[in-house]
Formats: sequence, structure tokens, C-alpha cells
Amino acid sequence: MSSEKVLTVKKTSLDEAVAIAKKGTHCGMCRIDFLGTGLCPSGKKHGYLAYWPQGRMELVKHLKEGKIKPTEKLVEIANSCTLCGICDKQCNFTTQLRPEKVAKAIKEHVNNLDKSEIQSVPEDDMLRGLREIVGEQWATNDPNIIVSYTRSIIPPDSELKFYIVMPESTEQVSKIIKFANKNNLPYMARSGGTTFSVTASYVLTKALSLDHGIVIDLLRLKKLEIHPESSTAVVGAGITTFEIQKAAHKHNLRVLAAEAGAHYCSNIATTGIISTWGNKYGAFADNFIDVTQVDEEGTITKHSDAGIVNPYSAETGFANVTMTPSKIITEAVVKLHPIFDDEIAVFVPFTHLKDALSMLVKLGKRDVGLSLSILSAKYLAEFLSPTIQLSRDFEYICKHHLKLNWVVSVIGTKDDQKIVEEMAEYTMDQSLMKSLILGAPRFSALKDSEFLKILSEEDDPLKALFAGPMRKHLEKSLDPSPEQVAKVYDKDLQDFFKKLYTKPEMTNVVWLHAFRILPTRMLRQRMFSGPGGSIWSGDMDHVLNWIQMFADVGDKYGLEHSLGFITPLDHGNFVYMEYDYFFNHNDPEHGHKIGKAFIETTEQSYVMGKVITLMDYLFKGMYRKEHILYPIPKGISKEEQLMFKELLESTLGGEETW
Amino acid sequence: MVKFLSEEWIENCKNYINEKLDPERDLKNITTSVLGVIEHVPPIDTTMSFYIELKGGRLDELKVNTGDTFEGKEAIYEIKGNYGTYKDILEGKLGMAMALLKNRLKLKGSKIEALKIIKQLDSLIESLRKNTDEFEE
Repeated sequence: MSSEKVLTVKKTSLDEAVAIAKKGTHCGMCRIDFLGTGLCPSGKKHGYLAYWPQGRMELVKHLKEGKIKPTEKLVEIANSCTLCGICDKQCNFTTQLRPEKVAKAIKEHVNNLDKSEIQSVPEDDMLRGLREIVGEQWATNDPNIIVSYTRSIIPPDSELKFYIVMPESTEQVSKIIKFANKNNLPYMARSGGTTFSVTASYVLTKALSLDHGIVIDLLRLKKLEIHPESSTAVVGAGITTFEIQKAAHKHNLRVLAAEAGAHYCSNIATTGIISTWGNKYGAFADNFIDVTQVDEEGTITKHSDAGIVNPYSAETGFANVTMTPSKIITEAVVKLHPIFDDEIAVFVPFTHLKDALSMLVKLGKRDVGLSLSILSAKYLAEFLSPTIQLSRDFEYICKHHLKLNWVVSVIGTKDDQKIVEEMAEYTMDQSLMKSLILGAPRFSALKDSEFLKILSEEDDPLKALFAGPMRKHLEKSLDPSPEQVAKVYDKDLQDFFKKLYTKPEMTNVVWLHAFRILPTRMLRQRMFSGPGGSIWSGDMDHVLNWIQMFADVGDKYGLEHSLGFITPLDHGNFVYMEYDYFFNHNDPEHGHKIGKAFIETTEQSYVMGKVITLMDYLFKGMYRKEHILYPIPKGISKEEQLMFKELLESTLGGEETW
Repeated sequence: MVKFLSEEWIENCKNYINEKLDPERDLKNITTSVLGVIEHVPPIDTTMSFYIELKGGRLDELKVNTGDTFEGKEAIYEIKGNYGTYKDILEGKLGMAMALLKNRLKLKGSKIEALKIIKQLDSLIESLRKNTDEFEE
């Protein structure tokens, strides 16, 4: 090959790969087997993020920018990919990206290197010490591996002065912390990286990231035992929510689940698991029976140890926010909940939020249902639609033709269904939802059709559609089938998706709710930040004013924004609300606006009172919910508001860098 | 070169605070005391501490000790962290409030009051920074 040709190949494939990589949002779904394809063989074998499709996205960007030199590990990363195509299927389902092209580009890049260009990275004393603890393979200071952790624990444009270490036991975590302390190196644990990736790129970056030191990647703590006799599971810090849910399901049990790719132990520690199942299954310390933790001195403790200081209580309020867990959970004994034979999903469509909220709170207070939530039309459209364009059309139809702005989503038993159907004039049942999933392309194609124009002229289009003869026409026109939905995917993947959509679980709303694989579609090729928190539900106007405040701040900064979901908590005494701001994560200007919106809405929430903000949730998941939610906070004073601003300035470096 | 926690460091800091900082303008006439506990001090992994007391914005005491207490001294605030954290703070790489938020410093006492004090002690921390340019490795 002539050198000119080599350069052309190199440029083209790397450019295309970088274009793909820039759209990646670190959802981490390539690290769980949610489509039954098996897992990336390279990632499974080598562990470090650089060997997974997710990590290669960051690696290729740094290679293209010339920020890292080729090393022996880079060659190993490139050669370890078998081009099996699993990542394309997984990533395409959630984000429509083709990460295999990134892996190919890295291979080509490496193949075109002269051997003399490949460097070895010298081992220093720190690395030697870490390797003595975990073994040679599981500690590294190679920049090609370090960069893969960028944006999901390491800040962008960092100097890469890090060690990545992958312990396999609690004892090894303890030894690493003792080693870090002795050598005065800061450290931070990383699990699935989901919280980091949606917040740390631009929001509270300095506070949430590690600027140098040791990244403790917990992926290898893979213990997972299901104990049906006690409805409990023992789960190591490397186990994802999807993995524990899958194992529990085999025993007709389920776990309280939030993000599918989040590691279960860290999800407990980070937010106490914010989930639409929380009104029934609980939150914070309700989730676990016992935990094994390693503290800042490397001491291993369990909640069940006799004589320990009350581990369930924490101080709250803005002065007590914390951006790092004080302890690392390495293992937890968690609660599992029964799956009933007659579980169903029922959706109640609404035009006005106030009406939807009123129903949600009533259901929450009566403890109806297992999972309860209000989903915005945007949320629903994102979940059900296989592509970005279809989700936009879906949302447009809901808002402009159907006046369907909200649905109250209830997962429950047949008894719950009866109660909901008595309260609602009309509902959307599981069969209709299945039709919308398999007929999503046809549904979106109805945009501005005669059928929808006629429907939109009705006084109550929702009633005409869901309680009248129009429903039959809609279902017929959707022609729902696996073939139909598979057509929207790339040609070479259509056969795979046709088979996938024949699997009952892919159209079973209860399964989809419990396994949480669809919410990742919120992260397709762009990022979102979801501030919010819990608010006392007793004052409906206060709740609505609070939500409106988020919308106003979104407008102020010119952001695409929408309420995401609302779910009751603690028998309906509170509702948790997530408000989503969407942004281009490659545009720092956009990112700064997101940071400002996050801070401003948090400040306003403190001023309004009766709100426990997302900041108050962070890293307080180990405590009793009663200590976090009560006493219901009053609004802060002018003096405290000033202090809040000063705290942010002194921690985050002034308003311009929020 | 002035090494953190050395006799020379104490003297330099005292002189700087007394000569360069104005009790009203720089230290807001504050009366408070802080015990800083420094863990994992190299080279032999010891614990040391310093005690600073201000009365009406004037430096009353600055002492260094081994161990984590000062006999007869009950500080209003106690902050605890490892040597690397103090080093990062004195090298200007890490702010006090950020260190608290990230759990790299532990605080005994009211956090809300401490945050007020940190703001008022900016000049004091700055003077410690200016008088420290060597650390144990």
C-alpha cells in the first residue's frame, strides 16, 4: 500500500469513527446483555472500559486528536475486537449508532502504525504497589486505557495522571484505599458510570469527577446469589440492575430497578434508587437488608456489625450536600419483591398535567399499583420509538392531534386495573401499547394525515380515540408486526430486529418497565440532564408552580426541555419529579447553559421549600428515607440563598464555569 | 524553601498574618479556632495537627503538634484530611469547600457555620498558601 493510500484510509475511517464516537453518550448498554446477543467478548475478557464499545468511543477521539501515543495496550485493544457485531445490534437498538465502525477504525489505525511507533508504558512504584494487590493484569497506567474513562469519571481535557485498578474482592478494595492513603493519592470508585455521564460532563464537573489519582473500577465484583426462600439477593458491586433483575425473574421475583446499566450497589449509594416502583417497594435504606462497605481508611464494615454508630441518619440541606460517597459499597443483601400472575399495564391519557397529577397522588396515597408514574408525551415517544425521527413525529402527533400530553402509567394486578378503570373515563391497555410499539413507524407516518386531522377536530380527541370506534381504525392502520418495526433499522440489521421483536418481552410493557431498557433511548446521540427532586404532594398548586419554574428556566436558557416523569413516594406523601434538559454534549456553550439551568433550578427549589432536591439525594442513598424526606424543609432565607451561591462559587469556580 | 508544618512554616505564617493581614478588612474581626488534623504524613505515615486561634481578627495562636489533639485546646471547628488533601489545598489545586463537598476533608462542627467561616478565612488560607512551598514526598 502506498503511503498516500494509507493516509487516506486512516483519515477516512478515523473521521467516520470520530463522528460516530461524538454522538455516543456513555449509556453503557453495551455492557449488559439486554437483547440476548451475548456480551462483547473483548470487554468481557479484559474488563477495562477501553475494551468495551463504550470506551473505544473516547479512545478513538483521543487518537484522532493526537492526544495519546500508541502503546502495546492499544494494539491489544484493537486486536481483541472480533468484529462480531454484537455492539452494533445493542447500540442500534438504543441510539442507532454503529460502534463496530469505531472498532474497525482503531484496528486500521493500529495496522498502519510502524512498529517503532508503539511505546511501552513504564511501571512506576505506585503501579507496582497496586499490582501487588490486584495482580499484574488488573492495574494500569496506560493512557490508552485511561482515556476510555473520560466523561464518565475523568473530566475532558484531563492530564491523564491516573491509575485504573480493578479489584475482585472487598479485601482488595480495602487494600487499595489503604495504599492510596499511604501514598496520598485521591481515589474514586466507578461502577456503571451512568450518574457521571449524565452530570459530570458539564454539570458540577469539578465536584463529581476525579482530577488525578486512582480510579477503582468495580466491574469485577461479580457476586450474585438469589435466595428465593428469603426473597433476598446478595449482589456484588460489579452487578448491573439488568443482571440482578434477570436472575431474580427466574424465581418470579423482582428488584426495585432504575437504570438498566447502572450497577445496583452504586445505584443504592448514589440516589437510593429513584424508580417508578418506589411508592410500593420503597427508597433509600428500604432497598437493602445489609451492606458491606469500605470506608476512607480502608476499614471494612457491615450494617449488621454490632455496636456501630447509627448508619441510617444524615444531615440534610444545601450545606450538607456531598459529591462523593463517603464509603464504597462492595456488596449488598437486597430485597426482592413478588411478581404476581395477573400483572398488567394500564395507561390513562391526559391533556392537562393538573388532572394527571391529581390521579397519580390519589393512586399513590391509596397504595394502588406496583409502579406508578406520570410520563410526558416526550418520554413516551422516546421510549416507544425505535428512531429519533419517529420519536419526534410520535410526540408531534400526541401533542398536536391527540392533545395527549401526559399518561398516568400503572403497572399492577387485575385488582389495581379495576380501580384505575373506575377512576378513569378511558384507558390505553397493554394490547394498544403493543400495537404502538410494533406499529411505531406507521403511527408516526400518520402525522398530518386526514385520519388525525379529523380526530383532532373532535372536542375530546382522546375520548374519541380510546373510548370510541376510532380505536379500531387506528389499530388497523398501524398494521403492527415485527416486520413493520424492523424496517426502520439499517438493512443488514433488519433480520435481527425482526426476530428480536417477536420475543414476547419486547412488547410486554410490564417486562419493559421492570427491566428499564427503553429509558436509555433518552440518551440517543445527545445528552440530557435531569434535575428535580421530591416535593410534598399536599399542596397541588405548589407542585405545579415548582414544575413551571423548571420550564421557565429552560426557556430562559433556550434549551430543549420537558418534564420527564413524576412518581409518588412514601405512600403518596411526596412525588419525585425529573425535569429534563437536552443538550449537545459536544458543544461546551450548550453544556454551560445546562450547568446554569441545573444550579438555578436547584437554588429556586431551595427558596420555594417543601422540596428535597436531586442535590440532596446525591450519595445519600444509604440512609433511611424518613431522615432524608422529613422534616419537610422550609424555603431558605435570603441570607442562606446568598450562602448557597457563595458555596457554588467557591466550589465550582464562579458562575462562568458552572 | 518552607516546608509545611515545619518550625519555619509556623514562624513565617505568623509573621505574614500579623504583618500583612488587616484584622478588619481581611479577617472580618473574626473570633474562632480551627484544629486541622493531617493524617498519613510522609515519610512514616504519622498524624499531625495544627491549631489556629483568631481573636477579633488577630492571630492569637498557631501551633503544630503530633497526634490529633492539643492538650487544653477545644477548637470550634475540627477539619480532618490526609496529607495529600492539605497539599492540594496549599498548592491551590483544591478549595476548602470543594474538599468538604468531596469528602476529602471531614468537618466536626456546624457545616453551615463552617461554610460562612471558610469564606471569611479566604485571606488566612491564602497566607498559608503563600508561605508553603515544600512538602514531604
